[in-house]
Amino acid sequence: MSASRRDTVQRTDPPMPTLRRREGVLQRLGSRHPGPSPPLVFSERWWPLLVFLFATVAGAALRLWELNRYGVNSDEAVYLGQAAALVREPVLSRFFPLFRAHPLLYPFFVAGTIPIVGREGLDLAGRLLAVAFGLATIGTTMLLGRVLFGRWTGAVAALFLALMPYHVTVSRQALLDGPMAFWITLAFLAFVRFAATRRTSWLFAAAVSFGLAALTKETAVVFLGALVIVLALHPELSDRPRQLLVGCAAFAGIVALHPLATALAGGSATERTSQYLVWQLFRRPNHEWSFYLSTVPPALGLAVVGLALLGLVLVRRAWTWRETLLVTWILVPAVFFQVWPTKGFPYLVAVAPAVALLAARTLARLFALGSTRVGSPLGYRVHWRPLLGLLSVLLIAGSLASASVGQLRAAADGTFLAGSGGVPGGREAGAWIRTHTPAGARVLTIGPSMANIVQFYGYRKAYGLSVSPNPLHRNPTYEPVVNPDLMLRKGDIQYIVWDAYSAARSSFFSEKLQTYARRYHGRVVHTEIVRTRGPDGQTIDLPVIVIYEVRP
Amino acid sequence: MSRFRSTARALALLLVLLAAPNAQRAEAARREPNTPIRHFIVLMQENHTFDNYFGTYPGADGIPPDTCMPLDPTDPASECVEPFHIGSLPIEDLDHSSITFRRQYNGGKMDGFIWALRLRNHDGRIAMGYYDGRDLPYYWNLVGEYVLFDRFFSSAHGGSVWNHMYWIAGVPGSEKNSVPPEGFPDDIVTIFDRLEAAGVTWKFYIQNYDPSITYRTRSDVVGPRAAQVVWCPLLAMPRYLDDPELFRHIVPLDEYFTDLQNGTLPEVAYIVPSGASEHPPGSIQAGQRFVRSLVQALMRSSYWWNSAFMVTYDDWGGWYDHVPPPQVDDYGYGFRVPAFLVSPYAKRGFVDSTTYDFTSILKFIEENWDLEPLAARDAQATSIMNAFDFTQPPRPPVFILWDWPPPAAAPGPRSGVVFGLYGSALLLASLTFLAASGRLRLPPQLARRARRPGGLRASWRKGAR
Repeated sequence: MSASRRDTVQRTDPPMPTLRRREGVLQRLGSRHPGPSPPLVFSERWWPLLVFLFATVAGAALRLWELNRYGVNSDEAVYLGQAAALVREPVLSRFFPLFRAHPLLYPFFVAGTIPIVGREGLDLAGRLLAVAFGLATIGTTMLLGRVLFGRWTGAVAALFLALMPYHVTVSRQALLDGPMAFWITLAFLAFVRFAATRRTSWLFAAAVSFGLAALTKETAVVFLGALVIVLALHPELSDRPRQLLVGCAAFAGIVALHPLATALAGGSATERTSQYLVWQLFRRPNHEWSFYLSTVPPALGLAVVGLALLGLVLVRRAWTWRETLLVTWILVPAVFFQVWPTKGFPYLVAVAPAVALLAARTLARLFALGSTRVGSPLGYRVHWRPLLGLLSVLLIAGSLASASVGQLRAAADGTFLAGSGGVPGGREAGAWIRTHTPAGARVLTIGPSMANIVQFYGYRKAYGLSVSPNPLHRNPTYEPVVNPDLMLRKGDIQYIVWDAYSAARSSFFSEKLQTYARRYHGRVVHTEIVRTRGPDGQTIDLPVIVIYEVRP
Repeated sequence: MSRFRSTARALALLLVLLAAPNAQRAEAARREPNTPIRHFIVLMQENHTFDNYFGTYPGADGIPPDTCMPLDPTDPASECVEPFHIGSLPIEDLDHSSITFRRQYNGGKMDGFIWALRLRNHDGRIAMGYYDGRDLPYYWNLVGEYVLFDRFFSSAHGGSVWNHMYWIAGVPGSEKNSVPPEGFPDDIVTIFDRLEAAGVTWKFYIQNYDPSITYRTRSDVVGPRAAQVVWCPLLAMPRYLDDPELFRHIVPLDEYFTDLQNGTLPEVAYIVPSGASEHPPGSIQAGQRFVRSLVQALMRSSYWWNSAFMVTYDDWGGWYDHVPPPQVDDYGYGFRVPAFLVSPYAKRGFVDSTTYDFTSILKFIEENWDLEPLAARDAQATSIMNAFDFTQPPRPPVFILWDWPPPAAAPGPRSGVVFGLYGSALLLASLTFLAASGRLRLPPQLARRARRPGGLRASWRKGAR
């Protein structure tokens, strides 16, 4: 933004209200539509509130609908298992160590539910907690949008986020990414408040929130890069180094709690944490370079992404630190995870609020939603504009909701993208193992993912055949089967579990596992079937998990 | 067509009427067990003593302290050998004939274990060796969960033939400890005869079974496979070979697994090994794995809930044991042998010190299915009933660990530290937001620090400049 433009804005501004009285104040400051106010078609107070309420209800419905229909996936099992280890739950803590790759804030919350729900209700409790974080993110996005661009933008962004397939999918799972997205959004909200008030307490709050995000998942540190860039590009926000130092100290103090806990808690935790670091740094890529490009934009909603991009084009001449903040919020983690060899579907969910905000802001600008001024780039008559705007919002929200519902109702086809939902048949297979195999039985699976699920639901030790004996090529927590043939021949492993999801990822180990089943008198004792549609549209029963009993 | 149908119906009715009495008779003949044990499986391994396997097992009647076996008990100045852990020392097939028994027993003094073997050209010191949990982790863990018998004697002070005969018939079967060339006399009544008559199902499972090897053909067979005639004395009984109805009960061990899977496990099952018999110098680890496969297969099946699985050893194999065996008749008892019982009704971690021998197994079968005794020995024997606790519900199966000592649970991390530190972070965050939003009243000095001059308009103007 040029200095002359800003001067103009300041000259035409009404007397500055306090932040508490009118939250849309930054939107007013940045508005390029000065002029007399037309009669309000949509109340700036009540309609956004209604939109937000609708967003909350619809978001809750989408997140809670058949929430626990499918059992947890591997990552969920690990985090819930960590929660069990935290409270020393006697069964699950035998299979899941407390310290693994990530910090423990989410397991800390889940652990609080275990005395109430027990280990049997842990999956539902963990997911409900994730939903709660998801809904809280929607609310925080609403607040953030309101502070940045006004009530309408906040409400519409909240609506988009509530219905967005990406956020719906991730916040239904007991993963770290959903809670991390909440803390990051909260941190940005506090930062924006700091920018508005210049009060150290808000910067401190932002730093603490970022610290909590990092205590949820250490990759939250990447998002701090967005703040660094904003502060670097907009010196008006960083003119008091002492404030920044206080913020940095607060962040570092919070983040340091995890290594401190690791060191004080004892055991081999410290060593394992360093092993994780080495493994994460040198592990092989798990997806193609185009993974995020092919999965994330459709999950965000192509219309939403398009609107966000269009909005950036529209405001290129009126660019402020707000745009910088939102763009870096998206770009910094996107670039980082694109370069990082390990890719995961939920890793970028924390950028969803920023995308929703940019898209909502574009609509608000195009149709002057909530604005008391004329000046939309579109030449509609004033009284039609808000109506068209609302229709556009509903249209996009409908497309998002439809995509979300479609994703939730999608029949399993025997394949599984990590982090995209529960595993059909996993809970049932685990329950069968728990009730039909003797305590102390050991299970061999294709990979560690199904091994985690078997351990979580089946309470039996499970080994992943694909876990490398080379410590540089495996997750330090996973125990390799150095000589599976020998273990089977000695009777140390009594069951083999084949699953279609792992088989789709690794045909080599799938075939190897079936070879062992044949060689050691494998007898199918249980099969989990998912009803789906074949390529010809016919309904077929797809065996997704097969349990073999083996003996020497 | 209708006439054909009515004729067929009439024929079917006639067949049902004819078959009904037979079915009723078969049902009436079938004996219901007197205990919850509806399936009894017994495996006989080879050639070890109790002290050799469990001599140092805590709580059992094991090797007494200060034991030192003289090299020559006839020489008061003879050196002696203390019991020692065998570990990975090489072992051999020690002589375990009747004469060696007599010398080792030495009139009840139990001091000839080395001497007797030296007289048979062995280095007899190995007889004083013992194994422990490091060598027998599975057995030691198994008896920790179920029942160990520490006064279980072999029935005869000879080798395999007599003891196997006592195991199935309660009699030695022959004057010499060998299979008669003409087979065992047909007038010997076995437990299987009783079971057959009572309508109780039974099978004799043989590992690596070759139906062509019997007492009639064993002299033509080169190698140890001929020993299946010794381990399964039914193969040395003409009527069991010549009557297909009886012969079909002798089956390969693979059928044990398929019977468990298919629901066709007989009510009484005898099992003998082939390669995994633990007979010295065979691998005791291989024997353990063999036993584990059998026990695990039972545990995995639905039969577990009403079954008992017993493991014992046919004779002492020349090894040292410190308990003088009671001499109840001309044939025995022989020295103690290892024996243990696995069952959902077995007492947990119980060491049963009741005096038993192989005919105690017969006694249990007879009591459980109301069968007549076979001979004087089993009539006078004590059933192993004391090892069970039928007042408790059946225990769920547990796969026993192979590790000895069982790995102790690693001390978990101090989760209180995690709760404290993470809770502090959350508390700090809550206070921070409350303070920033003005919902928490800070002390005036702190509040002044938190609030920086300028506020929104000033900061924005500054930014605009």
